Amino acid sequence: MKKIVSIILGTMKIQMKNSFVRPMYRFCLIVNPISNTILLYYMFRNSQMSDFMTYVILGAGLSSLWECICFSSVGDINRERWYGTLPAIFCAPAGFNLIILGKIIGNTVLSLISLGITVLTAGILFGAGIRIANLSGFLLAFLLSICTFVVISQVFAYLLTLSRKTILFMNCLSIPIALVCGFVIPVELLPNWIFPLSYSLPMTWAVKLIRGTFDVNFTENEYLFCLAILMIEILIYTIIFCLLYRIIDRKVKIKASLELM
Amino acid sequence: MNQVIYAENLKRDYIKIKGLINRKKTVITAVDQISFDVKKGEIFGILGENGAGKTTTIKMLITLLAPTSGVCKVLGFNTFGEEKKIRNRINFIFGGEMGVYRRLSGRDNLQYFANLYHIPRAEAKRKVEEVLKIVGLSEKADDLVETYSKGMIQRLQIARGLMNDAEILFMDEPTIGLDPLGARALRNLIKTLKEHGKTIVLTTHYLNEADELCDRIAIMKKGKIVALDTPQGLKKLLDSTKTMELTIKHSKHNYSEEIKRINGIKSVDFKEGEECDNYLIKYDSNLNIVSEILKVTNEIISFSQKELTLEDVFIHLLGERV
Repeated sequence: MKKIVSIILGTMKIQMKNSFVRPMYRFCLIVNPISNTILLYYMFRNSQMSDFMTYVILGAGLSSLWECICFSSVGDINRERWYGTLPAIFCAPAGFNLIILGKIIGNTVLSLISLGITVLTAGILFGAGIRIANLSGFLLAFLLSICTFVVISQVFAYLLTLSRKTILFMNCLSIPIALVCGFVIPVELLPNWIFPLSYSLPMTWAVKLIRGTFDVNFTENEYLFCLAILMIEILIYTIIFCLLYRIIDRKVKIKASLELM
Repeated sequence: MNQVIYAENLKRDYIKIKGLINRKKTVITAVDQISFDVKKGEIFGILGENGAGKTTTIKMLITLLAPTSGVCKVLGFNTFGEEKKIRNRINFIFGGEMGVYRRLSGRDNLQYFANLYHIPRAEAKRKVEEVLKIVGLSEKADDLVETYSKGMIQRLQIARGLMNDAEILFMDEPTIGLDPLGARALRNLIKTLKEHGKTIVLTTHYLNEADELCDRIAIMKKGKIVALDTPQGLKKLLDSTKTMELTIKHSKHNYSEEIKRINGIKSVDFKEGEECDNYLIKYDSNLNIVSEILKVTNEIISFSQKELTLEDVFIHLLGERV
């Protein structure tokens, strides 16, 4: 256990250092949440939604957070490939899955800064804040949201070890996921045929749950329902990841997709 | 000596698929049914042209690639399926400027890899200082790798490979990018590692380096091993051939054709100079070459018998490229 914690913490530290020195990452982390907050504020200002600021803050914050995670966690596979370090970490005794987990947790923790910047931007520029109706519920929902991002990023990152077209997939994942999961607009406004996809992704439930904790009318039953589904989906994706790990670990050695060709 | 690496009929194919609708599958055999073993404490060289299959062989041995067929065992375990039992006992160094994090310092890189090899923190700290000293990077340890020269990055890679005190060290063209002094230091380091009982598998394009370091050498051509022996044993393949360097006073006439007509001459290379011309002659060892040459010309300035080198064997086995 001590070894596992040490590898995760060590990888997190290296990942944060490695990510923060990249100008593109700093842009995603600092500039993106500011511009997202400003744009969403003007988009939602006349929407006649009473709780539009929660959409602005959560929408901008979560979109920026997802973009940071997406461009970093998923893009990392490609970066490691270009650095030539992918074979070195893949063959390290620590285990590739643990290293990827450490990287993703590191990215997620660092990317939380973007959420803080969103709240600050909304407060400073528009004098808006968020009132949390259910603080303990919010903290639990927030923690589970982080777990959701970690699990989903891990599934995507692992899938992308199979392909050398990671940048293409990364771009495909960024904005569609933010829209489909209701980061910016309620899922209910999307066409019906998208619902199965939206509700099969745990981020949708995580966002619903967090948003619910800002709403005084969000009942305890609704909260527990969302919480239960979120936890089940996190569990399902964790199982998917464990299965994928075994299959992909074998497949990359057969396909030789860890290096540039 | 115990056997630490064992490969039997080892084969690796790469499959390339082109086109989206009319998918065309091409199978490229990078390593074609090779068999060899490496004994504990041995320096084993793998030589061959670019694309001969050296790196693919190394990648299968370090658990990075799965063999398509055949047996591939390191330290008694299969490299595909029993990787976990191998990985903390081996390490590898690939040539070139890749394999380290450029936006971290040299020290951060080494500390991180120490962590990935389960080296306890206190020991890792000591080990980092030790390997930095060995590769001569102590003073630049806290600088970002992106500020390093090509040779320094290569030395950092070597340091990374030394971190876990591996029983077997795989080195794929480790002296690429190193200046002559750096390359010499690495050769000395390899000799020291051997003295400490380490096994080393080395691929290189520098044949003198292989001759100096390797106990045994496998020469690969198009995925197959075409020769495997000690450097001396390989040179015996050409025992029946001798090489002479002949210098003749410069003349407008090229004597190559006349020399080639002598019975027992295998090849003649001609280089024209301003005051004298040089001929590199390969001939049958039974031939009394000097008396035969004197029949062709008596303008000889000097002649010398050339020692057989691995390069001669290499060219003999793989054929000269035009």
